[in-house]
Amino acid sequence: MNPKCKTYNRKKIIVIFGCCFVALLVLVGRLVKLMVFESEYYQELADDLHERERSIKAARGKIIDASGNVLATNRTVCTISVVHSQIKDPETVIEVLCKELELPEDTVRKRVEKRSSIERVKTNVEKEVGDRIREYQLEGVKIDEDFKRYYPYGSLASKVLGFTGSDNQGIIGLEVVYDSYLQGMNGTILTLTDARGVEIADAGEERVEPVSGNDLYISLDYNIQLYAQQAALKALEQKQATYVSILVMNPQNGEIYACVNVPEFDLNDPFTLNTDMDTTGLSEQEKQDLLNQMWRNQSINDTYEPGSTFKVITAAAALEKGVVSLNDTFSCPGFRIVEDRKIRCHKVGGHGGETFVQGIMNSCNPVFIDIGQRVGVEDFYHYFQQFGLLSKTGVDLPGEAATIMHKVENIGAVELATISFGQSFQITPMQLATTISSIINGGTRVTPHFGVEIRDEEGNLLKTLQYEKREGVVSKETSETMRYLMEQVVAEGGGQKAYIEGYRIGGKTATSQTLPRGTNKYISSFVGFAPADDPRVLAIAIIHNPQGVYYGGTIAAPVVQDIFSNILPYLGIEKEEVVSDEET
Amino acid sequence: MASPNTAKRAKKQGKEPFDYSLMLIVLGLVVFGLVVLYSTSAYNGQVKFADKAYYLKKQFFATSLGLACMYAVSRIDYHKWERLAVLGYLMSIVLSTAVLFFGDEYNGSKRWLSLGPISFQPSEFAKVAVILLLASVISRRVRKMTSLWQMFLVMLVILPIVGLVGTNNLSTAIIIMGIAVILVFVASPKYFQFIGMGALGVGFLAIFLSVESYRLERLAIWRNPEEYEKGYQTLQGLYAIGSGGLFGVGYGNSMQKLGFVPEAQNDMIFSIVCEEFGLLGAIIVILLFLLLVWRLLIIAMHVTDLFGCMIAVGIMGHIMIQVILNIAVVTNTIPNTGITLPFISYGGTSVLFLLSEMGLALNVSRHVTYS
Repeated sequence: MNPKCKTYNRKKIIVIFGCCFVALLVLVGRLVKLMVFESEYYQELADDLHERERSIKAARGKIIDASGNVLATNRTVCTISVVHSQIKDPETVIEVLCKELELPEDTVRKRVEKRSSIERVKTNVEKEVGDRIREYQLEGVKIDEDFKRYYPYGSLASKVLGFTGSDNQGIIGLEVVYDSYLQGMNGTILTLTDARGVEIADAGEERVEPVSGNDLYISLDYNIQLYAQQAALKALEQKQATYVSILVMNPQNGEIYACVNVPEFDLNDPFTLNTDMDTTGLSEQEKQDLLNQMWRNQSINDTYEPGSTFKVITAAAALEKGVVSLNDTFSCPGFRIVEDRKIRCHKVGGHGGETFVQGIMNSCNPVFIDIGQRVGVEDFYHYFQQFGLLSKTGVDLPGEAATIMHKVENIGAVELATISFGQSFQITPMQLATTISSIINGGTRVTPHFGVEIRDEEGNLLKTLQYEKREGVVSKETSETMRYLMEQVVAEGGGQKAYIEGYRIGGKTATSQTLPRGTNKYISSFVGFAPADDPRVLAIAIIHNPQGVYYGGTIAAPVVQDIFSNILPYLGIEKEEVVSDEET
Repeated sequence: MASPNTAKRAKKQGKEPFDYSLMLIVLGLVVFGLVVLYSTSAYNGQVKFADKAYYLKKQFFATSLGLACMYAVSRIDYHKWERLAVLGYLMSIVLSTAVLFFGDEYNGSKRWLSLGPISFQPSEFAKVAVILLLASVISRRVRKMTSLWQMFLVMLVILPIVGLVGTNNLSTAIIIMGIAVILVFVASPKYFQFIGMGALGVGFLAIFLSVESYRLERLAIWRNPEEYEKGYQTLQGLYAIGSGGLFGVGYGNSMQKLGFVPEAQNDMIFSIVCEEFGLLGAIIVILLFLLLVWRLLIIAMHVTDLFGCMIAVGIMGHIMIQVILNIAVVTNTIPNTGITLPFISYGGTSVLFLLSEMGLALNVSRHVTYS
C-alpha cells in the first residue's frame, strides 16, 4: 500500500546533503576567518571589555613653608561612576545622582543610559556627598575615593602657590613650576570582571602601587605672609585701591618670605571669581579672561613704572661710575629744562640748593636728571645690564614679565632724564626688589625664589634647589653708600613714615602715574629694608590706584613700617639701643 | 498494512538492523551538550538563582525524559504514527493557539505553556507534527507530486501552523517552512520548478524585508554590529569566537559567558563552545552534526517505503537547518534570529522532541534494507 522510495528521491536526498555539506563548509571557513585571522582583533576587544584598569591616583607632594606649615596638601574626594550593566533601576539612579551631585537631569541621564562598561558621572565630589550616595546602596553606582588638592589657608598666597586641575596637574604658580617633583606616579589595578563589573575572585589582579609625589619646602613664611596680607588688605580697604602688592624677601640670598597681591582668590575654588560680578551673559572666553585676570600675580606678571624708587638705581650707577659724591651740590628751581621740555620736580617751588644726600632724601627730580646726564646713556645702559635690570629675575614662578625699556639708540636727553627718576619704562615689582637687593647687599645679584628643598614623603632630603648668584654688581663701597643714603631717606627724608624706633631702616618712596597718563591714577610705593647696616629683610609695597592721598611716603611707607614692626622681631632682628643723632 | 509487516519479518530472518552509530552520535552530542551547558550556564544560574547547576538540573531532567522517549519511540513501529499524524497536527495547532492566549511571556515573546512546574514549548512539538503529517501526506499522493499545484496544496496544509507559530516565533516558522520545502523537494522528481520557487522566495523575502523598516535595520546591524546597540549580542558572540583561537581557552575558562554574551546557554552557546574549545573543538562539533546528518541520510536512502524515507529526510532537514542557521547566526554570517543549536542549547522541550525524533529515526533504521 505504501509507495516505495524512487531513485529520484534518493538523488534529491543526496542533493540536500550536498547543500548541507557546502553550507557547513562555508561556516567552517567563516570560523577559520574569525578564529585564526581575526582572532587577535576580537581577543583584544574582548580583553578591553573584561579588564578594568583602575587608576590609583598618587598623592601629590605637599608644599610646606619655612616654619613647617603645610600650605598645600591633599584631601579625600570621591569619583562617582555608573556601570551600565549593573544598573537595575535607572530612574532612581538618575534621580539620586541629580539630587546629590546637583547636576542637570539630562547630563546624568546621558551618562546612565550610555551603554559602556563604566561611565564617570562626576569627579571631585566631597567625601560626605560620596558617603551619602553610598548609603542609598544603588546597584551599578560606584564611588571611588580619590585625592584632591587642598589648601588649608584658602586664599593665602594664592597667586604664589597656584592650584591644580582635575588631572592633578599644576595650572598656575608653584604648582606648575614644581609639577614634576610634586606629581607622583599613578598606580593601576588591572582586574578581570564579569559583565556586571564584579571582579572575578580568582583571576588575580595586577597591581602597580602609586608613588607619592615629593614635598616642596619653600622660603615663604606663613606668618610673614599673613602679616603682609593683613597690611595689604588694610591698605586696600583704606585707600580703596585696585590692588596692593607686597613683597618681602631676604636681600642676601633671594629667598622670598612673602608675596601678597590682594585681592587674592580662594585656591580651593579657583574657578569662581573673587568679585561679586554678574557673569551671566558673558561668553566662555570673557569668563576665562576674567579668571586669568584674577589669577595674575601682579608682582611678577605685570610691569609698572617704578618712579622714584628707581632713583636708588640711578644713584648707584652714578656712584659706581664715580660721577657724584655725597657732598656734591645741586640746585632745584622746581624744574629742569631738557632740550625743549620743562620737567618738573614734585615740589613746585623747588628744593633750592641741596647736596646729593639731600637730593635723595627729598627725592628731587632735577638732582637725578643731573646725575643721569653725568652717567650718560651708554654707561647708564651698561649699568642696567650689569645690575641685571634688563633680563628677567629668574624667579621660580611662571609668566614673569620682562622689562620694557627703550632701545639704547632711542634714548635722547629727554628719555635719559625721565629714566633717571624712574619713568618712561616698565619693570616688575620683583625686578625692582631684586635689583635693589643686589645694590644694598654688597653687590651680589641674587635670584629671587620660593623653592628651597625637595624632600620625600618621610622628610628625607632629596634635593637642595640651587640658584644663580652674580657677584660684583656694584662695589662694596657703592653698596655701603647706598645703604647709608636710603637709611637717611627713612631717618629724615621722604620715607620717615617707615621709621620704627630702635631699628635702622633704609628705604625709598615713589609716587608714579599709571599708564596711560592723564587718568589721574597713581601708583604709590615704598621699598624698605632692615637693618640698614646689614640688610636681612627687604620689603616693597605697591598700592595701585589709591583714592585720596596718594604719596608713597604717606601711604606706602606706613604699610612697610607696619609689616616690619611685626616681622623684624619675628625674624629675630633685635632692636638696637636708640642713639639719638637727630640733635646734631 | 501487510507490506511493512512482511518486510519486517523478512528482515528478522537475519540480524535486525539498527543504526547504532546514529545512537552513539546522538548520545555523544547529548553528553557534550550537558557538559558545555553546565560550563556556560553556571554563571547565569549563580547570578539569577544562586545555583550554579540550576540550568543543568532542568536540562538533565528533560534529557533523561527525552532518552526514555527515544528508547520507547525506537521500539514503536513508525507506521503506527501515520494514523496519528493528522491528529498530532491538529493538536499542535490547538497548542500553538493556546499559547497565544495562555502562554508565558519571556523576553517579549509568548512561547511557553505552563502546567504546574513544567513548562512546554508547543512550537517544538509542531516541528515533529509537521514532519509526520507531511511524510504521511506526501507518501499518499506522491504520484501527484509532479504538479506545481499539488506541491502548493501540500504547502497550504502547513500554512496554519506556520502562521500560528510565526506570530511569536518567526525563526521556528522558518524552520518548519524549510522542513516542508525539503520534503516537497525530495518528493518531487523535478528540479527547475524549485529553482523558480527559490527565485520567487528571494523576491518575496526582499519585499518582506523592505516593508518594515525594522527588518532593514536588522540587516544594517548584521553588516556593522559595532555601530548599533542591538548588535551587542552579535558582537559579544564574535568576541567569544575570536577569543577562542585555535585551541580555545579551555573548559570552564570562558570570560564571555560571564554575562557578556546575554543568556549564553541559549542561542549563542556555540560561541562559548568556540571560546572554550577553539577552532578545533568547533570543527569537531560541526563534524559530529555532519555525521548525524549523514547517518540520517543513510537511513533515508535505504529505507524502502516512502513514508519512512520522508520521516528520515524531515528529521535530517530539521537538524540540518537548525545547525546551519544557528552557526550562521552566531558567526554573524546571516542576520540575527533566535535559533537554538540542537542537543546543546538550553531548552527542555527542544531536547525532549529532538530525542523523540531520534527515536523515530532509529525505528526507521530498523526497517532499512541494505542491498
